[in-house]
Amino acid sequence: MKSRNLIPYLQAAPLAIVLFLFLAAPLALVLVVSVFRNKLFVGLVPAFTFENYFSILTNAVNYQLYLSTLKFTVIVLAVTMVLGFWIAYFLVFHVRSLLIAIGLFLVCTVPFWTSNIIRMISWKPLLGREGLVNTALINSGVIDQPILWLLFSDFTVVLSYVHLFTLFMIVPIFNSMARIDKSLVEAAVDAGASRWKVIWNVIVPLCKTGIGLGSVFVVTLVMSDFFVVAVMSGGLSGSVSSGVFFDLGILNYPRAAANSIVLLAIVVLIAAGILRVVDVRKELTG
Amino acid sequence: MSKKQAKHMSKKLSRRSVLKGAAATGGLAVGAGVIGAPTIWAQNIKDITINHTGMSYSTIIEIARQASEDLGFKVEMSVTDHTGLINRMTNEPTALDVADSEIWQTKAYVPQGVTQAVDISRIDMWDKITPIYTEGKFAGKEVSREGDAPFEIMYRESKDATSFHDGPTDWATFMPGVYNADTLGIRPDLIGRPIESWAELFNPEFAGKAAIQNIPTIGIMDAIMAMEAAGFQTYGDRGNPTREEIGATIDKLIELKRAGHWRALWNSFDESVNLMAAGEVVIQSMWSPAVTAVRSQGKNVEYVHLKEGLRGWGNGLALMSHLDGLKLDAAYEYLNWYLSGWMGGFIAKQGYYISVPETAQSFLSDNEWGFFYGGREASDVITSPTGEVTNQAGEMRDGGSYEDRFAQVAVWNNLMDEADFLFSKWNEFNSA
Amino acid sequence: MHKHQKRPWTFYVLATLFTLFVIFLYGPMISIFILSFQGPTGGLVFPLTDPGFHWFGALFGQARTGDVGGAFGRTLPLALAVMVATVVISVAAGLAFRRRFFGSSVLFYTALASLIMPGLVLSIGILVAFQFLGLPTRWYSSAFGAHLSWTLPFGLLIMFAVLSRLDPAYEEAAYDLGATRWQTLTQVVVPIVLPGIIAVSLFGFTLSYDEFPRSWLTTGPQNTLPIEIYTMTTTVTSPALYALGTVTTIISFLAIGLALGSIGYIQHRRRNKKSF
Repeated sequence: MKSRNLIPYLQAAPLAIVLFLFLAAPLALVLVVSVFRNKLFVGLVPAFTFENYFSILTNAVNYQLYLSTLKFTVIVLAVTMVLGFWIAYFLVFHVRSLLIAIGLFLVCTVPFWTSNIIRMISWKPLLGREGLVNTALINSGVIDQPILWLLFSDFTVVLSYVHLFTLFMIVPIFNSMARIDKSLVEAAVDAGASRWKVIWNVIVPLCKTGIGLGSVFVVTLVMSDFFVVAVMSGGLSGSVSSGVFFDLGILNYPRAAANSIVLLAIVVLIAAGILRVVDVRKELTG
Repeated sequence: MSKKQAKHMSKKLSRRSVLKGAAATGGLAVGAGVIGAPTIWAQNIKDITINHTGMSYSTIIEIARQASEDLGFKVEMSVTDHTGLINRMTNEPTALDVADSEIWQTKAYVPQGVTQAVDISRIDMWDKITPIYTEGKFAGKEVSREGDAPFEIMYRESKDATSFHDGPTDWATFMPGVYNADTLGIRPDLIGRPIESWAELFNPEFAGKAAIQNIPTIGIMDAIMAMEAAGFQTYGDRGNPTREEIGATIDKLIELKRAGHWRALWNSFDESVNLMAAGEVVIQSMWSPAVTAVRSQGKNVEYVHLKEGLRGWGNGLALMSHLDGLKLDAAYEYLNWYLSGWMGGFIAKQGYYISVPETAQSFLSDNEWGFFYGGREASDVITSPTGEVTNQAGEMRDGGSYEDRFAQVAVWNNLMDEADFLFSKWNEFNSA
Repeated sequence: MHKHQKRPWTFYVLATLFTLFVIFLYGPMISIFILSFQGPTGGLVFPLTDPGFHWFGALFGQARTGDVGGAFGRTLPLALAVMVATVVISVAAGLAFRRRFFGSSVLFYTALASLIMPGLVLSIGILVAFQFLGLPTRWYSSAFGAHLSWTLPFGLLIMFAVLSRLDPAYEEAAYDLGATRWQTLTQVVVPIVLPGIIAVSLFGFTLSYDEFPRSWLTTGPQNTLPIEIYTMTTTVTSPALYALGTVTTIISFLAIGLALGSIGYIQHRRRNKKSF
């Protein structure tokens, strides 16, 4: 009997070890470094100072950056949530064969295996000043000047995010939707409930976990991104992480670390807010 | 220097007579791998691998392949970006052997003590290295000291010194490698008039069709050149501006951004190529291989000669501290090979110069030497390192000869004292 | 199911939405496919000049295009190792989480934290940690761990969903009937969770294969493919990048065909078994 009680610990041990080595320990070190002092041309000076945090929190630029990042987050979240929900709904409730549903689902994942960088660059031949879209519109006489905001604008950034991250919303929603007992839905329909009512009152609540998790993925990915913004806005928008990136370029670890901690804290707060609405663990383990 | 002289020189210069075969076959020898493997080294040097880490513009796999072939031990290339290099060097100094860093990066890594100074007596051709690096002079004249001029960081007191020494010693911070002087790139077909001043970068005429690089340490220098040329701001030292000067410069960039002046800020070399090739911009900061790349796509682009001068930059090969014994010997072998000509010939076609130009000549045809170094009209087609045609016979290289170019350097890429402030302001520019 | 019923109108609306989404996903990819056949002098944008297979050759020729072959040779084993480790560790942990045990909540929330940890931050953290311990960062050590910290929470969440359908009573029953633990695992647990395992593998592989921020500072002296691609964009970029995209997509379709085939096969076998 005793050995049986030990089993969960043995089963969970590898996970715990990995998370300790590659999450907890590194995070603790980032935290330590964030209170160090950096001297340009000298390097790290062990200290205990909140100077880095202070300089971050008192710099108006950072608020601007967070605001612009939050703006992207909210827009992308809304778009991916709507898209993710309806695509998952289509795959689960409208595609009759499970194999076909999985097949279609995988079709959505294939582009994911091509490097994100290549996928971002791939918009350029389409959207540029002399790109396919502008050329087509000009040739057909719809416009006579190329539309410039198609590339290097907030629009392009959102487009890329949606392109890159919608999958992260589809997967968890698909997953929780697939677990809904279809007879439940049919029963509701048979009882005379309208399709919308069924979706709103039955399906959405049952997908809460999926929507919640998907939102956490998307929020995290957008908030911590610096690459998509830099490339797709043509450097015309900043991101929270771009500051971290610049600091690393001159070995200012303490400020980069402090910046990271602030970012992490904000992401954790948002994620915790989302996860308060859904108790992932309870939902998942029943 | 004639080929005969080159041959003569090569005979006396090195215990390996690296150029013997090469000089005999002259310019045709490029890439032919005619250099014999060194024989005086112990057999076990064959098991050594030298890792060369640097940025993509000079850390090119073909160089490693040629070096491995010529030297008899393995040279491998790891490519990263500026940030990646400095982080790998300081956090994991043993993961690389030779760091191909920019001049300004030495200011960040030398104090960390992760590199050993290069023993000048072990660099066979030290005397032939361009005085831009070794003496701070060029063609008999002082080279600009605004920014991180190579001479300022060139020497250290001793092998393990963690600071620079003012003036020559027996220990070099790194062995000078490739360098160039950059300027603005334009599309002459779309602009239709000569561009002669940095001020044109801010000219409202090019609103929505201008770009500047999004790498703060370098972008700020382009901005400073333009600010001063346009008469918006004067600087005490353009290479080391004060907070007020940086602030005013970036405020101007922001003002232009709000007016829709910048089509984009480019983050990578490739983006600058595409911006130009795709007709997005007609005037922008540019690096010379990007000009070559746009040209090889059949688009006309000019690397303009501006009256205020050019922005110089340079790289060098630093030896990591952990190297010793046979491995250190191998690293020195590699450093010497680097200056022996093949590399210089190869990198010239990318538009860069090597610190010992005269050996490069043996690996370039007369046509190529005249075009890249002499500032003369091409007598035949000019190709990129990959063999694409970049210039036709009769064309001249923008910016003139090697001499003209380096006599014109006004500022150097640098890591300024106010770098922290600069980065924070630059972030503001991005987010404005 | 409504096998014989007419499809509701929403089917057509959503089918259109889905089609549009797929076009959105593949649209730019298609211009990549076309442009990967760009001739030797062609650029990264239209028009297509002198089309051919030039850049496919350049891709594995290790020329100026970067060391794609070498980087792929590291990324593939890395992604496969991450995949296997993710499956084993998350199945084990998933089984453990069916019971409450001491520290289970802490572990669970740590896993969630791992999910929301910005990749760049983790990259710095692991680099500093390895430096602190005096260990060299390598793609097969530090980057492997960095990837696991990202794939494991995904695997765990999928396993939660799958295992909630596995009644512990099945195992108990098998165990009570005299099956060894190993037999119970291989003959009772594995068949039930197999589709979940395939999903976890797919995720583990995909996430690792394309991971950039977590690899950036942890990969050591030898680049993984996404890092190599990134550095390729810092130099003369050629349509070789597009050729790479095309090759990846073709390989992906083959892999997916394989995965689908195996799921179909398993379902088929299971259905046959049930009918006895």
